[in-house]
Amino acid sequence: MWLMQYRDLIWNLTITDLKIKYQSSVLGFAWSLLNPLLMMLVLYFVFANVFRFNQEHFALYILVGIIAWRFLANGTSTAMLSIVAKPSLVTKIYIPRHILVLSSTLSSFISSILEFCVLIPLLFVFGANITPYILFFPIAHAIFFFIVYGLSLVLAALYVYYRDLNQIWEVVIQLGFFLAPICYPITIVPPKFLPYYVLNPVTILIETYRNFLIYGVPPGLRSMVYLVVSAAMLMIIGKLVFKRFERRFAEVI
Amino acid sequence: MTGNQYSGKNKNPDNNDAIVVKNLSKQFRIPHERKITVYQHLAGLIAGSYSYEIFDALKDVSFTVKHGETFGVIGPNGSGKSTLLKILAGVLYPDKGTVQMNGKIAPFLELGVGFHPDLTAEENIYLYGAIMGLTKKAIASKYEEILDFAELKRFENMKLKNFSSGMAVRLAFSTAIQTNPDILLVDEVLAVGDESFQRKCSQKIDEIRRGGKTILLVSHDLGMVQRLCERCVLIKDGLVKSSGSAERVVKDYKNILSPGNMMP
Repeated sequence: MWLMQYRDLIWNLTITDLKIKYQSSVLGFAWSLLNPLLMMLVLYFVFANVFRFNQEHFALYILVGIIAWRFLANGTSTAMLSIVAKPSLVTKIYIPRHILVLSSTLSSFISSILEFCVLIPLLFVFGANITPYILFFPIAHAIFFFIVYGLSLVLAALYVYYRDLNQIWEVVIQLGFFLAPICYPITIVPPKFLPYYVLNPVTILIETYRNFLIYGVPPGLRSMVYLVVSAAMLMIIGKLVFKRFERRFAEVI
Repeated sequence: MTGNQYSGKNKNPDNNDAIVVKNLSKQFRIPHERKITVYQHLAGLIAGSYSYEIFDALKDVSFTVKHGETFGVIGPNGSGKSTLLKILAGVLYPDKGTVQMNGKIAPFLELGVGFHPDLTAEENIYLYGAIMGLTKKAIASKYEEILDFAELKRFENMKLKNFSSGMAVRLAFSTAIQTNPDILLVDEVLAVGDESFQRKCSQKIDEIRRGGKTILLVSHDLGMVQRLCERCVLIKDGLVKSSGSAERVVKDYKNILSPGNMMP
Protein backbone atom coordinates (compact mmCIF):
# COMPACT_ATOMS: atom_id res chain seq x y z
CA MET A 1 0.00 0.00 0.00
CA TRP A 2 1.58 3.24 -1.13
CA LEU A 3 0.36 5.23 1.83
CA MET A 4 2.27 3.04 4.27
CA GLN A 5 5.31 2.65 2.07
CA TYR A 6 5.70 6.37 1.53
CA ARG A 7 4.42 7.70 4.83
CA ASP A 8 7.81 9.01 5.92
CA LEU A 9 8.25 10.82 2.62
CA ILE A 10 4.73 12.29 2.70
CA TRP A 11 5.26 13.56 6.21
CA ASN A 12 8.71 14.91 5.41
CA LEU A 13 7.45 16.82 2.38
CA THR A 14 4.54 18.21 4.38
CA ILE A 15 6.76 19.44 7.20
CA THR A 16 9.26 20.91 4.75
CA ASP A 17 6.43 22.80 3.10
CA LEU A 18 5.29 24.24 6.43
CA LYS A 19 8.83 25.11 7.50
CA ILE A 20 9.49 27.02 4.30
CA LYS A 21 6.15 28.78 4.51
CA TYR A 22 6.59 29.99 8.07
CA GLN A 23 10.31 30.56 8.40
CA SER A 24 10.55 33.42 5.94
CA SER A 25 9.79 35.90 8.70
CA VAL A 26 9.87 35.94 12.47
CA LEU A 27 6.18 36.60 12.53
CA GLY A 28 5.74 33.73 10.06
CA PHE A 29 2.65 32.07 11.36
CA ALA A 30 1.34 35.27 12.96
CA TRP A 31 1.16 36.92 9.55
CA SER A 32 -0.98 34.14 8.25
CA LEU A 33 -3.41 34.81 11.10
CA LEU A 34 -3.40 38.53 10.63
CA ASN A 35 -4.70 38.17 7.12
CA PRO A 36 -8.07 36.57 7.99
CA LEU A 37 -8.52 38.87 11.00
CA LEU A 38 -8.00 42.00 8.93
CA MET A 39 -10.27 40.64 6.21
CA MET A 40 -12.90 40.02 8.84
CA LEU A 41 -12.63 43.58 10.20
CA VAL A 42 -12.99 45.12 6.75
CA LEU A 43 -15.85 42.88 5.70
CA TYR A 44 -17.57 43.34 9.05
CA PHE A 45 -17.34 47.10 8.74
CA VAL A 46 -18.69 47.10 5.19
CA PHE A 47 -21.44 44.55 5.59
CA ALA A 48 -22.59 45.34 9.11
CA ASN A 49 -22.48 49.12 8.89
CA VAL A 50 -22.96 49.92 5.23
CA PHE A 51 -25.30 47.11 4.18
CA ARG A 52 -26.70 46.76 7.71
CA PHE A 53 -27.09 42.98 7.64
CA ASN A 54 -28.73 41.67 10.75
CA GLN A 55 -27.13 38.38 11.66
CA GLU A 56 -26.47 37.10 15.10
CA HIS A 57 -22.71 37.05 15.92
CA PHE A 58 -21.96 38.59 12.55
CA ALA A 59 -18.24 39.12 13.27
CA LEU A 60 -17.74 35.45 14.09
CA TYR A 61 -20.03 34.52 11.25
CA ILE A 62 -17.68 36.24 8.80
CA LEU A 63 -14.54 34.96 10.49
CA VAL A 64 -15.58 31.30 10.36
CA GLY A 65 -16.52 31.76 6.72
CA ILE A 66 -13.18 33.31 5.86
CA ILE A 67 -11.06 30.74 7.69
CA ALA A 68 -12.95 27.86 6.10
CA TRP A 69 -12.74 29.50 2.70
CA ARG A 70 -9.01 30.08 3.06
CA PHE A 71 -8.37 26.35 3.23
CA LEU A 72 -10.14 25.85 -0.07
CA ALA A 73 -8.60 28.88 -1.77
CA ASN A 74 -5.02 28.52 -0.50
CA GLY A 75 -5.08 24.74 -0.50
CA THR A 76 -6.13 24.36 -4.12
CA SER A 77 -4.01 27.18 -5.50
CA THR A 78 -0.78 25.95 -3.90
CA ALA A 79 -1.45 22.26 -4.51
CA MET A 80 -2.17 23.07 -8.16
CA LEU A 81 1.48 24.08 -8.58
CA SER A 82 2.85 21.16 -6.55
CA ILE A 83 3.80 18.95 -9.50
CA VAL A 84 5.36 21.70 -11.58
CA ALA A 85 7.14 23.23 -8.58
CA LYS A 86 9.23 20.11 -8.02
CA PRO A 87 10.21 19.00 -11.53
CA SER A 88 13.22 16.97 -10.40
CA LEU A 89 10.98 14.73 -8.27
CA VAL A 90 9.02 13.95 -11.43
CA THR A 91 11.77 13.59 -14.03
CA LYS A 92 14.72 12.25 -12.06
CA ILE A 93 13.20 9.68 -9.75
CA TYR A 94 10.02 7.69 -9.52
CA ILE A 95 7.72 8.39 -6.63
CA PRO A 96 3.94 8.21 -6.94
CA ARG A 97 3.26 11.72 -8.17
CA HIS A 98 0.06 12.23 -6.22
CA ILE A 99 2.28 12.26 -3.12
CA LEU A 100 3.34 15.77 -4.12
CA VAL A 101 -0.28 16.92 -4.28
CA LEU A 102 -1.14 15.09 -1.08
CA SER A 103 1.67 16.62 0.96
CA SER A 104 0.90 20.11 -0.33
CA THR A 105 -2.76 19.67 0.61
CA LEU A 106 -1.75 18.27 3.99
CA SER A 107 0.39 21.29 4.74
CA SER A 108 -2.53 23.64 3.93
CA PHE A 109 -4.73 21.39 6.05
CA ILE A 110 -2.43 21.79 9.06
CA SER A 111 -2.28 25.57 8.55
CA SER A 112 -6.05 25.62 8.46
CA ILE A 113 -6.33 23.62 11.68
CA LEU A 114 -3.98 26.11 13.37
CA GLU A 115 -6.14 28.98 12.18
CA PHE A 116 -9.23 27.32 13.60
CA CYS A 117 -7.36 26.80 16.88
CA VAL A 118 -6.80 30.53 17.15
CA LEU A 119 -10.49 31.02 16.52
CA ILE A 120 -11.43 29.15 19.68
CA PRO A 121 -10.55 31.91 22.19
CA LEU A 122 -12.35 34.37 19.93
CA LEU A 123 -15.47 32.22 20.16
CA PHE A 124 -15.43 32.78 23.93
CA VAL A 125 -14.63 36.48 23.62
CA PHE A 126 -17.50 37.15 21.26
CA GLY A 127 -19.85 35.02 23.32
CA ALA A 128 -20.63 32.18 20.96
CA ASN A 129 -22.92 29.44 22.18
CA ILE A 130 -20.34 26.73 22.80
CA THR A 131 -21.73 23.22 23.20
CA PRO A 132 -20.26 19.71 22.88
CA TYR A 133 -21.32 19.81 19.22
CA ILE A 134 -18.06 21.63 18.62
CA LEU A 135 -16.57 18.13 18.58
CA PHE A 136 -17.98 17.72 15.09
CA PHE A 137 -15.07 19.83 13.92
CA PRO A 138 -12.64 16.94 13.17
CA ILE A 139 -15.29 15.14 11.13
CA ALA A 140 -16.25 18.20 9.12
CA HIS A 141 -12.65 19.17 8.57
CA ALA A 142 -11.72 15.65 7.42
CA ILE A 143 -14.51 15.77 4.84
CA PHE A 144 -13.29 19.22 3.79
CA PHE A 145 -9.79 17.79 3.36
CA PHE A 146 -10.99 15.27 0.79
CA ILE A 147 -12.93 17.95 -1.06
CA VAL A 148 -9.78 20.06 -1.35
CA TYR A 149 -7.56 17.08 -2.15
CA GLY A 150 -9.89 15.82 -4.89
CA LEU A 151 -10.04 19.26 -6.49
CA SER A 152 -6.28 19.68 -6.17
CA LEU A 153 -5.60 16.38 -7.95
CA VAL A 154 -7.58 17.59 -10.95
CA LEU A 155 -6.00 21.03 -10.93
CA ALA A 156 -2.42 19.84 -10.43
CA ALA A 157 -2.71 17.31 -13.26
CA LEU A 158 -4.21 19.85 -15.64
CA TYR A 159 -1.77 22.57 -14.69
CA VAL A 160 1.14 20.49 -16.03
CA TYR A 161 -0.42 20.82 -19.50
CA TYR A 162 -2.19 24.18 -19.18
CA ARG A 163 0.09 26.67 -17.54
CA ASP A 164 -2.41 29.51 -17.42
CA LEU A 165 -4.85 27.47 -15.37
CA ASN A 166 -3.77 29.29 -12.21
CA GLN A 167 -5.00 32.59 -13.67
CA ILE A 168 -8.35 31.03 -14.51
CA TRP A 169 -8.61 29.37 -11.12
CA GLU A 170 -7.89 32.67 -9.40
CA VAL A 171 -10.98 34.14 -11.04
CA VAL A 172 -13.04 31.10 -10.10
CA ILE A 173 -11.92 31.43 -6.49
CA GLN A 174 -12.85 35.13 -6.47
CA LEU A 175 -16.28 34.32 -7.85
CA GLY A 176 -16.67 31.48 -5.39
CA PHE A 177 -15.97 33.84 -2.52
CA PHE A 178 -19.11 35.78 -3.35
CA LEU A 179 -21.15 32.78 -4.41
CA ALA A 180 -20.77 31.20 -0.98
CA PRO A 181 -22.26 32.77 2.13
CA ILE A 182 -19.02 34.12 3.54
CA CYS A 183 -19.54 37.83 4.00
CA TYR A 184 -23.33 37.96 3.87
CA PRO A 185 -26.10 35.98 5.56
CA ILE A 186 -27.66 33.22 3.52
CA THR A 187 -31.07 34.80 4.18
CA ILE A 188 -30.47 37.54 1.62
CA VAL A 189 -30.35 35.04 -1.22
CA PRO A 190 -33.60 35.36 -3.22
CA PRO A 191 -35.79 32.29 -2.59
CA LYS A 192 -36.00 31.38 -6.26
CA PHE A 193 -32.22 30.94 -6.43
CA LEU A 194 -31.94 29.19 -3.09
CA PRO A 195 -32.36 25.59 -4.36
CA TYR A 196 -29.41 26.11 -6.74
CA TYR A 197 -27.45 28.10 -4.21
CA VAL A 198 -27.37 25.28 -1.67
CA LEU A 199 -26.13 22.81 -4.29
CA ASN A 200 -22.68 24.26 -3.71
CA PRO A 201 -21.01 21.90 -1.21
CA VAL A 202 -18.91 24.78 0.08
CA THR A 203 -22.08 26.63 1.09
CA ILE A 204 -23.28 23.60 3.04
CA LEU A 205 -19.85 23.15 4.57
CA ILE A 206 -19.49 26.73 5.78
CA GLU A 207 -23.00 26.71 7.22
CA THR A 208 -22.20 23.45 8.99
CA TYR A 209 -19.07 24.93 10.57
CA ARG A 210 -21.05 27.91 11.80
CA ASN A 211 -23.79 25.75 13.24
CA PHE A 212 -21.59 23.81 15.59
CA LEU A 213 -18.93 26.46 16.22
CA ILE A 214 -21.04 29.56 16.81
CA TYR A 215 -24.67 28.61 17.29
CA GLY A 216 -24.20 25.35 19.17
CA VAL A 217 -26.41 23.37 16.81
CA PRO A 218 -25.51 19.90 15.52
CA PRO A 219 -25.01 19.59 11.77
CA GLY A 220 -27.99 18.22 9.88
CA LEU A 221 -27.82 14.62 8.74
CA ARG A 222 -28.74 15.55 5.18
CA SER A 223 -25.96 18.13 5.03
CA MET A 224 -23.40 15.64 6.28
CA VAL A 225 -24.49 12.98 3.80
CA TYR A 226 -24.39 15.53 1.00
CA LEU A 227 -20.87 16.57 2.01
CA VAL A 228 -19.58 13.01 2.24
CA VAL A 229 -21.03 12.20 -1.18
CA SER A 230 -19.54 15.37 -2.70
CA ALA A 231 -16.12 14.62 -1.20
CA ALA A 232 -16.23 11.02 -2.44
CA MET A 233 -17.20 12.14 -5.93
CA LEU A 234 -14.47 14.74 -6.07
CA MET A 235 -11.93 12.17 -4.90
CA ILE A 236 -13.01 9.70 -7.59
CA ILE A 237 -12.88 12.36 -10.31
CA GLY A 238 -9.54 13.57 -8.98
CA LYS A 239 -8.01 10.09 -8.99
CA LEU A 240 -9.30 9.32 -12.49
CA VAL A 241 -8.15 12.60 -14.03
CA PHE A 242 -4.78 12.38 -12.32
CA LYS A 243 -4.21 8.83 -13.48
CA ARG A 244 -5.18 9.73 -17.02
CA PHE A 245 -2.72 12.63 -17.20
CA GLU A 246 0.10 11.27 -15.05
CA ARG A 247 1.69 9.11 -17.75
CA ARG A 248 3.23 11.96 -19.66
CA PHE A 249 4.12 14.28 -16.79
CA ALA A 250 7.85 13.66 -17.18
CA GLU A 251 7.72 14.44 -20.90
CA VAL A 252 5.81 17.67 -20.60
CA ILE A 253 7.06 19.23 -17.42
CA MET B 1 1.51 -1.82 -23.18
CA THR B 2 2.91 -2.30 -19.77
CA GLY B 3 1.76 -1.64 -16.30
CA ASN B 4 4.09 -0.34 -13.73
CA GLN B 5 6.39 -3.20 -12.90
CA TYR B 6 9.14 -1.09 -11.53
CA SER B 7 8.83 -2.10 -7.96
CA GLY B 8 10.86 -4.84 -6.41
CA LYS B 9 7.75 -6.84 -5.68
CA ASN B 10 8.25 -9.34 -8.46
CA LYS B 11 11.43 -10.56 -6.90
CA ASN B 12 12.07 -14.01 -8.17
CA PRO B 13 14.93 -15.95 -6.58
CA ASP B 14 15.21 -18.28 -9.58
CA ASN B 15 15.71 -15.37 -11.90
CA ASN B 16 19.35 -14.62 -12.66
CA ASP B 17 18.55 -11.45 -14.47
CA ALA B 18 18.37 -8.19 -12.61
CA ILE B 19 17.11 -6.18 -15.57
CA VAL B 20 15.24 -7.59 -18.53
CA VAL B 21 14.43 -5.18 -21.33
CA LYS B 22 12.42 -6.57 -24.21
CA ASN B 23 11.61 -4.82 -27.48
CA LEU B 24 11.47 -1.45 -25.86
CA SER B 25 10.31 1.47 -28.00
CA LYS B 26 9.67 5.04 -27.04
CA GLN B 27 8.36 7.81 -29.23
CA PHE B 28 8.22 11.45 -28.44
CA ARG B 29 5.77 13.75 -30.13
CA ILE B 30 7.42 17.03 -30.80
CA PRO B 31 4.78 19.60 -31.72
CA HIS B 32 5.81 22.25 -34.20
CA GLU B 33 4.23 24.78 -31.97
CA ARG B 34 4.15 23.90 -28.32
CA LYS B 35 0.85 24.80 -26.69
CA ILE B 36 1.04 25.14 -22.98
CA THR B 37 -1.88 27.37 -22.11
CA VAL B 38 -5.64 27.03 -22.31
CA TYR B 39 -5.65 30.06 -24.58
CA GLN B 40 -3.24 28.46 -27.05
CA HIS B 41 -5.28 25.26 -27.10
CA LEU B 42 -8.47 27.17 -27.78
CA ALA B 43 -6.78 29.18 -30.50
CA GLY B 44 -5.44 25.92 -31.93
CA LEU B 45 -8.93 24.42 -31.99
CA ILE B 46 -10.26 27.32 -34.00
CA ALA B 47 -7.32 27.32 -36.38
CA GLY B 48 -7.60 23.52 -36.49
CA SER B 49 -3.91 22.91 -36.59
CA TYR B 50 -2.09 20.34 -34.58
CA SER B 51 1.04 19.25 -36.31
CA TYR B 52 3.90 17.42 -34.73
CA GLU B 53 6.88 15.35 -35.62
CA ILE B 54 7.45 11.91 -34.23
CA PHE B 55 10.84 11.29 -32.81
CA ASP B 56 11.81 7.71 -32.13
CA ALA B 57 14.01 7.90 -29.09
CA LEU B 58 14.26 4.14 -28.71
CA LYS B 59 13.53 1.49 -31.32
CA ASP B 60 13.11 -2.12 -30.31
CA VAL B 61 15.82 -2.17 -27.67
CA SER B 62 16.43 -5.46 -25.89
CA PHE B 63 19.06 -6.57 -23.44
CA THR B 64 19.42 -8.27 -20.11
CA VAL B 65 21.62 -7.51 -17.15
CA LYS B 66 22.53 -10.30 -14.78
CA HIS B 67 22.54 -9.98 -11.03
CA GLY B 68 25.83 -8.65 -9.74
CA GLU B 69 26.91 -7.40 -13.11
CA THR B 70 28.17 -3.95 -13.96
CA PHE B 71 26.65 -3.06 -17.28
CA GLY B 72 27.56 -0.09 -19.45
CA VAL B 73 25.40 1.89 -21.86
CA ILE B 74 27.35 4.04 -24.30
CA GLY B 75 26.52 6.07 -27.36
CA PRO B 76 26.74 9.56 -28.78
CA ASN B 77 24.68 12.49 -27.50
CA GLY B 78 20.98 12.23 -28.28
CA SER B 79 21.15 8.53 -28.96
CA GLY B 80 18.52 7.61 -26.40
CA LYS B 81 20.67 6.64 -23.43
CA SER B 82 18.99 8.97 -20.97
CA THR B 83 15.54 8.04 -22.25
CA LEU B 84 16.41 4.42 -21.62
CA LEU B 85 17.61 5.18 -18.13
CA LYS B 86 14.46 7.16 -17.37
CA ILE B 87 12.28 4.29 -18.51
CA LEU B 88 14.26 1.90 -16.32
CA ALA B 89 13.82 4.30 -13.41
CA GLY B 90 10.06 4.36 -14.01
CA VAL B 91 9.96 8.06 -14.78
CA LEU B 92 8.94 7.66 -18.42
CA TYR B 93 6.50 5.10 -19.70
CA PRO B 94 7.50 2.94 -22.67
CA ASP B 95 5.23 2.93 -25.73
CA LYS B 96 6.02 -0.68 -26.56
CA GLY B 97 7.91 -3.48 -24.95
CA THR B 98 8.49 -4.43 -21.36
CA VAL B 99 10.93 -3.68 -18.62
CA GLN B 100 11.43 -6.00 -15.70
CA MET B 101 13.48 -4.95 -12.73
CA ASN B 102 14.14 -7.68 -10.18
CA GLY B 103 15.12 -5.95 -7.00
CA LYS B 104 15.07 -2.63 -5.24
CA ILE B 105 16.36 0.08 -7.52
CA ALA B 106 18.12 3.33 -6.72
CA PRO B 107 18.15 5.79 -9.58
CA PHE B 108 21.15 8.11 -9.56
CA LEU B 109 19.95 10.13 -12.52
CA GLU B 110 20.83 13.26 -10.69
CA LEU B 111 22.27 13.72 -7.24
CA GLY B 112 20.42 15.77 -4.67
CA VAL B 113 16.94 15.42 -6.16
CA GLY B 114 14.60 17.45 -3.99
CA PHE B 115 17.33 19.24 -2.04
CA HIS B 116 15.96 22.45 -0.65
CA PRO B 117 18.27 25.47 -0.29
CA ASP B 118 16.36 26.82 2.72
CA LEU B 119 16.79 23.66 4.79
CA THR B 120 19.84 22.74 6.83
CA ALA B 121 22.17 19.89 5.93
CA GLU B 122 20.49 17.73 8.54
CA GLU B 123 16.99 18.42 7.26
CA ASN B 124 18.11 17.81 3.70
CA ILE B 125 19.60 14.45 4.60
CA TYR B 126 16.25 13.36 6.04
CA LEU B 127 14.30 14.77 3.09
CA TYR B 128 16.58 13.33 0.40
CA GLY B 129 16.81 10.02 2.24
CA ALA B 130 13.02 9.80 2.32
CA ILE B 131 12.85 10.61 -1.38
CA MET B 132 15.36 7.85 -2.08
CA GLY B 133 13.09 5.45 -0.24
CA LEU B 134 14.71 5.25 3.19
CA THR B 135 12.60 5.21 6.30
CA LYS B 136 13.16 7.82 8.96
CA LYS B 137 14.58 5.18 11.28
CA ALA B 138 17.06 3.96 8.68
CA ILE B 139 18.28 7.49 8.06
CA ALA B 140 18.66 8.17 11.76
CA SER B 141 20.83 5.09 12.20
CA LYS B 142 23.04 6.05 9.24
CA TYR B 143 23.05 9.75 9.94
CA GLU B 144 26.55 10.00 11.46
CA GLU B 145 27.99 7.80 8.75
CA ILE B 146 26.52 10.05 6.06
CA LEU B 147 28.01 13.20 7.57
CA ASP B 148 31.35 11.52 8.13
CA PHE B 149 31.56 10.26 4.58
CA ALA B 150 30.66 13.69 3.24
CA GLU B 151 33.16 15.29 5.65
CA LEU B 152 30.53 17.86 6.54
CA LYS B 153 29.99 17.21 10.23
CA ARG B 154 30.88 20.80 11.07
CA PHE B 155 28.20 22.18 8.76
CA GLU B 156 25.38 19.99 10.00
CA ASN B 157 23.18 22.94 10.94
CA MET B 158 24.06 25.22 8.07
CA LYS B 159 21.50 25.94 5.39
CA LEU B 160 22.14 24.33 2.06
CA LYS B 161 22.08 27.63 0.22
CA ASN B 162 25.33 28.55 1.98
CA PHE B 163 27.03 25.37 0.78
CA SER B 164 29.33 25.33 -2.21
CA SER B 165 28.07 23.17 -5.05
CA GLY B 166 30.81 20.65 -4.31
CA MET B 167 29.71 20.35 -0.71
CA ALA B 168 26.07 19.92 -1.71
CA VAL B 169 26.95 17.16 -4.14
CA ARG B 170 29.08 15.41 -1.51
CA LEU B 171 26.16 15.49 0.88
CA ALA B 172 23.88 14.11 -1.82
CA PHE B 173 26.23 11.30 -2.79
CA SER B 174 26.81 10.27 0.80
CA THR B 175 23.07 10.11 1.46
CA ALA B 176 22.16 8.37 -1.77
CA ILE B 177 24.78 5.69 -1.28
CA GLN B 178 23.07 4.63 1.94
CA THR B 179 19.94 3.42 0.17
CA ASN B 180 21.39 -0.08 -0.12
CA PRO B 181 19.67 -1.00 -3.38
CA ASP B 182 19.96 -4.18 -5.42
CA ILE B 183 20.20 -2.29 -8.67
CA LEU B 184 21.90 1.06 -9.19
CA LEU B 185 21.09 3.17 -12.20
CA VAL B 186 23.88 5.67 -12.67
CA ASP B 187 23.98 8.56 -15.13
CA GLU B 188 27.48 10.01 -15.14
CA VAL B 189 27.29 11.33 -11.64
CA LEU B 190 30.42 9.66 -10.41
CA ALA B 191 32.53 12.72 -11.09
CA VAL B 192 31.58 14.70 -8.02
CA GLY B 193 33.53 16.86 -5.63
CA ASP B 194 37.28 17.38 -5.63
CA GLU B 195 39.84 14.77 -6.50
CA SER B 196 40.15 13.17 -3.09
CA PHE B 197 36.38 12.87 -2.79
CA GLN B 198 36.20 11.44 -6.30
CA ARG B 199 38.65 8.77 -5.25
CA LYS B 200 36.47 8.00 -2.25
CA CYS B 201 33.45 7.74 -4.50
CA SER B 202 35.05 5.32 -6.92
CA GLN B 203 36.18 3.26 -3.96
CA LYS B 204 32.62 3.19 -2.67
CA ILE B 205 31.28 2.24 -6.08
CA ASP B 206 33.87 -0.53 -6.31
CA GLU B 207 32.83 -1.70 -2.88
CA ILE B 208 29.20 -1.81 -3.97
CA ARG B 209 30.20 -3.65 -7.13
CA ARG B 210 32.13 -6.24 -5.21
CA GLY B 211 29.24 -6.54 -2.79
CA GLY B 212 27.32 -8.23 -5.59
CA LYS B 213 25.07 -5.34 -6.56
CA THR B 214 23.93 -4.75 -10.08
CA ILE B 215 25.01 -1.48 -11.64
CA LEU B 216 23.81 0.00 -14.89
CA LEU B 217 26.11 2.79 -15.93
CA VAL B 218 25.49 5.38 -18.63
CA SER B 219 28.65 7.20 -19.53
CA HIS B 220 30.73 9.00 -22.11
CA ASP B 221 33.90 8.08 -20.31
CA LEU B 222 34.97 5.07 -22.37
CA GLY B 223 37.97 4.43 -20.17
CA MET B 224 35.78 4.15 -17.10
CA VAL B 225 33.26 1.94 -18.89
CA GLN B 226 36.03 -0.41 -19.96
CA ARG B 227 37.50 -0.45 -16.50
CA LEU B 228 34.27 -1.01 -14.57
CA CYS B 229 31.90 -2.88 -16.85
CA GLU B 230 31.87 -6.48 -17.84
CA ARG B 231 29.34 -6.04 -20.61
CA CYS B 232 28.03 -3.12 -22.58
CA VAL B 233 25.51 -1.98 -25.17
CA LEU B 234 26.10 0.69 -27.77
CA ILE B 235 23.02 2.72 -28.63
CA LYS B 236 22.88 5.06 -31.59
CA ASP B 237 19.76 6.75 -32.97
CA GLY B 238 17.65 4.65 -30.63
CA LEU B 239 18.93 1.34 -31.93
CA VAL B 240 21.22 -1.19 -30.31
CA LYS B 241 24.23 -1.17 -32.62
CA SER B 242 26.41 -3.52 -30.69
CA SER B 243 26.37 -5.47 -27.46
CA GLY B 244 28.66 -7.85 -25.72
CA SER B 245 31.90 -7.58 -23.81
CA ALA B 246 32.80 -4.05 -22.86
CA GLU B 247 36.08 -4.16 -24.75
CA ARG B 248 34.49 -5.13 -28.05
CA VAL B 249 31.61 -2.65 -27.78
CA VAL B 250 33.94 0.21 -26.94
CA LYS B 251 36.03 -0.73 -30.00
CA ASP B 252 32.90 -0.69 -32.16
CA TYR B 253 31.99 2.69 -30.78
CA LYS B 254 35.41 4.09 -31.60
CA ASN B 255 34.99 2.75 -35.13
CA ILE B 256 31.71 4.62 -35.50
CA LEU B 257 33.19 7.79 -34.10
CA SER B 258 36.16 7.91 -36.44
CA PRO B 259 34.94 9.24 -39.79
CA GLY B 260 35.21 7.18 -42.96
CA ASN B 261 35.26 4.01 -41.00
CA MET B 262 31.84 2.42 -41.35
CA MET B 263 30.48 -0.36 -39.24
CA PRO B 264 30.44 -3.75 -40.94
